[in-house]
Order: sequence, then C-alpha cells, then structure tokens
Amino acid sequence: MIAQQLVNGVMLGAIYVMVALAFTLAIGILNFMNFSIPGLFMAGGMATWILIHRGVPWWAAAVVALIVAAAISLAVERLSYRPSNEGDVEVPLVSSLGFLVLLQSLVLATVGSDQQAFPAVLGDLNLRIGGLVIGAAQVLSLAISMVLVIGLTVALKSTSFGRQIRSIAESRETATLLGIDVGAVIPRVFVISAVTAALGGVLFALNYLQVSPFMGENVGFKGVAAMIVGGMGSVWGAVLGGLLIGVAEVLSIRLFGADTVDIAVYGLLLVLLVVRPQGLLGKPPAREKL
Amino acid sequence: MSGYQTGVLVILCFNIIAAYAVYLPLAANQLNLGIAGFMAVGAYAAAWLTTELNWAIAPAVLVGGGASALVALVVATPILRTQGIYLALATFALGQVISAVFLNLEVVGAAAGYQVPAYAPAPAVFAATAAIVAVVFYLSRTRFALYLTALKNDATVSELLGLNVRALQIAAFAIGAAIAGIGGGLYAHHFSFIEAQHFNVALSITTVLYVLLGGTQTVWGPLVGALVYTLLPEVLRVGAGWRYVLFALFIIGFMAVRPRGLVTPDLGRRLGAMLMRRARPGKAVP
Amino acid sequence: MTGTPLLRFEDVHLAFGGLRVLQSLDFDVRAGEATALIGPNGAGKTTVFNVISGVYRPQSGRVLLDGRDLAAVAPRQRIRHGIARSFQNVRLMAHLSVCENLMVGQHVKTNGLRDLLAPFRLMGNHRWRREAIDALAEVGLEAHADAPVGGLPYGIRKQVDLVRATLAGASLVMLDEPAAGLNPTETNALRLHLERLKARGITLLVVEHDMHFIDRISDHVVVLNFGRKIAEGSLAEVRRHPEVRAAYLGIEEAA
Repeated sequence: MIAQQLVNGVMLGAIYVMVALAFTLAIGILNFMNFSIPGLFMAGGMATWILIHRGVPWWAAAVVALIVAAAISLAVERLSYRPSNEGDVEVPLVSSLGFLVLLQSLVLATVGSDQQAFPAVLGDLNLRIGGLVIGAAQVLSLAISMVLVIGLTVALKSTSFGRQIRSIAESRETATLLGIDVGAVIPRVFVISAVTAALGGVLFALNYLQVSPFMGENVGFKGVAAMIVGGMGSVWGAVLGGLLIGVAEVLSIRLFGADTVDIAVYGLLLVLLVVRPQGLLGKPPAREKL
Repeated sequence: MSGYQTGVLVILCFNIIAAYAVYLPLAANQLNLGIAGFMAVGAYAAAWLTTELNWAIAPAVLVGGGASALVALVVATPILRTQGIYLALATFALGQVISAVFLNLEVVGAAAGYQVPAYAPAPAVFAATAAIVAVVFYLSRTRFALYLTALKNDATVSELLGLNVRALQIAAFAIGAAIAGIGGGLYAHHFSFIEAQHFNVALSITTVLYVLLGGTQTVWGPLVGALVYTLLPEVLRVGAGWRYVLFALFIIGFMAVRPRGLVTPDLGRRLGAMLMRRARPGKAVP
Repeated sequence: MTGTPLLRFEDVHLAFGGLRVLQSLDFDVRAGEATALIGPNGAGKTTVFNVISGVYRPQSGRVLLDGRDLAAVAPRQRIRHGIARSFQNVRLMAHLSVCENLMVGQHVKTNGLRDLLAPFRLMGNHRWRREAIDALAEVGLEAHADAPVGGLPYGIRKQVDLVRATLAGASLVMLDEPAAGLNPTETNALRLHLERLKARGITLLVVEHDMHFIDRISDHVVVLNFGRKIAEGSLAEVRRHPEVRAAYLGIEEAA
C-alpha cells in the first residue's frame, strides 16, 4: 500500500532531517564539513542503549547520551576545528573523520560488532487513521524534528544569539569587529549540532528497536546526502532533503528490494552533485577574484 | 620469514598500493573518499576474468586496473566539474554506488561473495607493489608531478600559464583509480575470496587518513603513512579491536599539532642538511 | 611613433549584473612599446588584464591580438599566442621553490607528452633548470633558486612573479602594479629589467600608480576612470587633460 509506504518514508525522513540539520549548521555557519556527526548519531543511540542495560530509566539514559555527545563535540571543536582555522580545508575534515573512526572503533572494541536489540520503551502504541498505522515513536520523531527545525528557524531569525550566529556565518571578521565573542559562540554551535545528531540517533533506536556500531555509517551518512540534496547551509533544505531521501529509500526497498537502497540514494546524490551541486534550496558558490 | 611476518608484509603492500591510489588525485587537489569502489572494480573484473574466462592472473589484474581507470574516466568529466567539498562528496557517493552495485551483481556472487580459485602468492604481491611504487616515484620526478603541485596551489594561475588543468586532474584521478584497481585485483587473487561489503566506506576513509598522516606534499608521505598505519599496532601488540582506536587517536592528535603530515619538504631539507653535516664534519651548514 | 598595434580593444563592454565595469573601451597597445594603464582605484585596470587573459568575457566588442579576435582563444591557450602576465597580489605557487615556479612558467615551450613525462629531476642540472636560473640571474636572484617561495620577502616574490611571466617567450607581458611595495633599490632594478625586456622587442602593458616610475618607462599612457577611457597620449599630455585632473584631484597632491 503506497500511502503507508509514504508515511513510513516521511517518518524515516524525520531522522535524516536531524542528521542533515546537524551537518548543515556546521557547514553553513562554520564552513566545516564535520564528518564526526554520523559518529555522534551512533553515540547517541549506543550510549542510550548501554545505560538502559545498566538499569537507567530510558529517558534519563537519553539525556545523558545527549550530554555525552555534546562533550565529544566540544572535543571535536577543540582538536579538529580550532587548530586549523587558517590552514587547508581538508585538515579539519580529515580530523573529524578521525573522530568518526574513533567513536566507531571504540564501540566495536567494547560492545562488539553485533546489532543490539533496543527495548520497546514506548510500548506498541499505534495510531490508526483510515487504513494507515502510525507508531507512537514515529509520531514522536516527527514532532521532535519539526519542533527543532521551527525552533532553530525562529531562534536564528529573532534572538540575539541567532543574529550573532548569522553574522559569523556571513563574515567572521565583520562579526569580530561588531564586538561578537566569536570564540564563545562557536562551541555553542558545536553543542547544538551534536545534540541534534545524537537526538536523531536516540529516536532511530526508539523507532527501529536496534542499535549497532555501524548505524552512523549506514544511517548517519544518509544525512549527508539529505543535506546536499536540500542545499548546504539551508535549514529548510535539510528538511526537504531529509524527507526526500527517506521517501526515496522506503520506495526503493518496496520496489527493488533492500540491497538496492544505496544505489538509489547515493546514485541520486551523485547525479545531483553533478547537475546542481548547490542543491535544491542552496545558493550557487561565489566566483573567484584575481 | 615466518608466516606471520609474511602476512604483515602482504597487508603492508596492499596498504601502500591503496595509499598511492589516494595520493595521486590528492596531489591534484582531489580528495577521493571512494577509493574502495575503484578497488572493487579492479578486484571483481580481474577475478571474473581468471575464474570465468581462465585468464592468467597478471593480465587479468592489469585489465582490472584498466577497467577501474575506465570507470574513473567515464565519471571524471562530470564529477570534476564540481570542486572542493562537492568533489569529495561525489567520490564518496560514487564509492557507495559501486560497492552497492557489486552487492547486487549475480554473476559475481552478489551478497554471498565471490570465490577466486587462481592464487597470487606473496612474492607476486611484493613485486607488484615494488613496481607501482617505482612508477609513482618516477612520475614524481617529472613535469607531470610539478604541474599537479602547481594546480593544487593555484588552479587559476596554472591555467593562465597554459596548463590544461582539467586534463591533468582527470589523468591523476584515472591513474589513481588504475592503481586502486590493480590493488583490488591482487587482493582478490591473494585472499581467494571477495565480497562487496569489504569495499566499504571505512576502507576508503582509513586509507585517506593514513595518507594524510604521512603527508601529501612529498611522494614519501603515503609510504610512511602506510608503514605507520600497518606496523605500529603490530609493534605495540594491541588487540585487533583496539588498533583502530589507537590509529584514530593518533590521527586526531597529529592533525592538531602537525596538520601537514609526517613527511614535509621542509623535513626533507633538514634531513638533507643533517646528512651533509655528517658527511663533512667541521664544516658548518647554516 | 613606432609600430603597429599588437593588441587592440574595440568598443569593449563588460558588466557584472547591473554593474558596468568597462564601457565602450577602445585603445591600442603598439608593438615594442611600453603602454601604461592608469586611473584611480576601481577604474577597471585589472579588469582590462582579466579580459585580455580571458578570465572575463566581454559582453560586446572585440579584443584583437595581431588582428585576430581573442574571443575564439581559450584562456589557457592565450599564453601560447604570446600573452603573459604577472599578478597584482603575487600569485606564486607557495609549495614550490622559486626555480620550480619558473619551470611551470616554461610550460608552453615544452614539447607535449614526451617532456611532460621526462624525469628531469633525476638529471642533475637539466637545461630547464639552467634556463630558469639564467633568468633569475638577470635580476640577481639566482641565490634564491631553491628556496621555497612561501618564506621569501615580498619584493623578491614580486620579481619572481615577473620573471615567470617572461619565461613563456611571450610577445606581450602585462604587469599589474610591478613597483608597488618595492623599495627604491628594487624599483630601480625593476626599471632596468623592463628596459631589457623592451630591448628584446617585448611589448609591455603596465598598470601602475607610481607616476615617477611610469614617466621613466612608458611610451604611451591610457587613462581609465569608471571603466571608460578618459584620455591617452604621453604622460605630459594626459596630465594636462581636464578630466584626468578632475579624476585625480587630491590624489596627486596627497602623493
């Protein structure tokens, strides 16, 4: 049934939206392709699972997982982003890949490579609307991601913190001249980005009742695809891209089988990068001056 | 040589080959995050030729490298229209697509993997690695390498000085892919089994990481990077699971303090000056 | 007056969006002469260089080199047609040595794939290297041949940029503010070097603010303001021109 598939696609898309949002904040504000984000996504889900296993209530486990992710992200800021402010663009990118490998291999070394079952903490509460079945966790994911998007849009537009962020994104020098404490704002951007990604990981675990060391690689990287499809640096682009990738994935599983998902999603991404690298809602890059 | 030592050396060889496959495009300012895909093309093409058509290993591996270069040439023109981060992401997507295609390709076993009866012994792997390193070192002594550095530094000015920047980049990308393909073909015939899951993102990413650890400003960098990546965990005798943890920590720490990598031209000059001083004692070198 | 025009601008218009950068621009650069292009900041001088190099494409009008329309010549091919340039903000390849930068400048004189793949770095004192060092010696910089460009003082990098532009055997060399940032000794050496280039029959097109320097080296001056030519002639002639005086009002006094 196609309507049910679309609903499932949108719900999966809501998770991708969160990862794409995390990426787009980093690239839009800091011009930093932060590849540690899929790792933070995994860390969010995995840390929650580990804590639940130790007897911590699931909601408290989730909160602690988000704090852990934020702390890791501050380390990324300090060790990957800050040292190479003037250097090559590839250095922070590569260093953040180092964090991804670190997080993934830490979990592999301690928990092992198996997929772990995540408890159904929300029960099997299902909403039935017409012929459609929508799970409580799905509704929660969609609601949280939409609240985040709208909250971020409003915050960027009308709070003083938002204005500071926008002027930093525009030009760091001008922001400094305007008296903005750039050194204090940037770590907060890392925290917001990390919490968004890790929350995505927690919601993924609640929805699909599984976590694994590879969830960042399998799911988190689709967030990169979503961000590019939507347009780098655009919040609403992340939403559009995330939902599109979610629907494309669910439909390609339905039509061609599970093994073809990567061909569909990354093929789509590849074509888009060639045809319209700025994405659907992004701006084309500026030209060089001599 | 014990079996253990031979095993480590073989792994070292595959890592060196992969390192140079990443290094060549990187020297032309192209971060290839999909090198595993090109290895897969070479591995599957060569394995299919020896298994289904009874080819000898050497020509099959070379044709595998050619097939990989051909894929690179076909995608290069559109992909290289994108620059910087977009290019890196396009190669990433390409690597994912290639590995997913082999996961679905029934003629080479699809998800079950592919048995490769023809066997390439360790000495063959050593010889092939030596040949590849020799070719790359040769190239580094030519104008081709000089031009790659030039366009990496300033593509616009290189173009105005008459360099065909696009053609040079495509060439570097394709030669890198050919090396990756040859490495993949050797891998298939040495380990007698390949599966699409082996050629994954992690393989692409770790290769890029140790190449940058070694440094990309000289031709020695990738060699040193592969050596450190392969041998350090062996020397420290860490368990299989923890070697990547150690490696990742190493990368992060290193990028923070020495972002240009272990081997830089400056280091080369200083080593040269030291040797000079040794050779001519008493004569001070400023 | 010597020579025929080597380069000719015919009614060239260029705009970025709504901003008109060059308007109905006509002027000639005569072969074998040094033509100076002057005007206040933002007058379009560097833009003229970028049009000649092919970095920008004019919306209308023609740029002719020896009577041939440059529109048909790709930017990369223009150096083969004898057009070379230096850059206002010195664009050397920071990770190459001085000598290697110059070798990149020799590219158009090399012979295709064979030279591209010749292992010249294995052959000690290769002729390419000797040629580069000879060119450096002309400006007294041979001692810096193997220094990485990144760490050299500005004045030296500036001269290396200029030497690189002359190695392709170009007939027209464009110099974007060659004297800016140089000390008096360096400026004097530069002037002598430009005289030598002229004596070899190389045509020069120079953007420069230093009027004294222009007075010494140029045969002909073209004055731009807001993308238009407002005057041309000898420096003495253009100085008397009322529009030039208006455009430079305050600038001459301040200098």
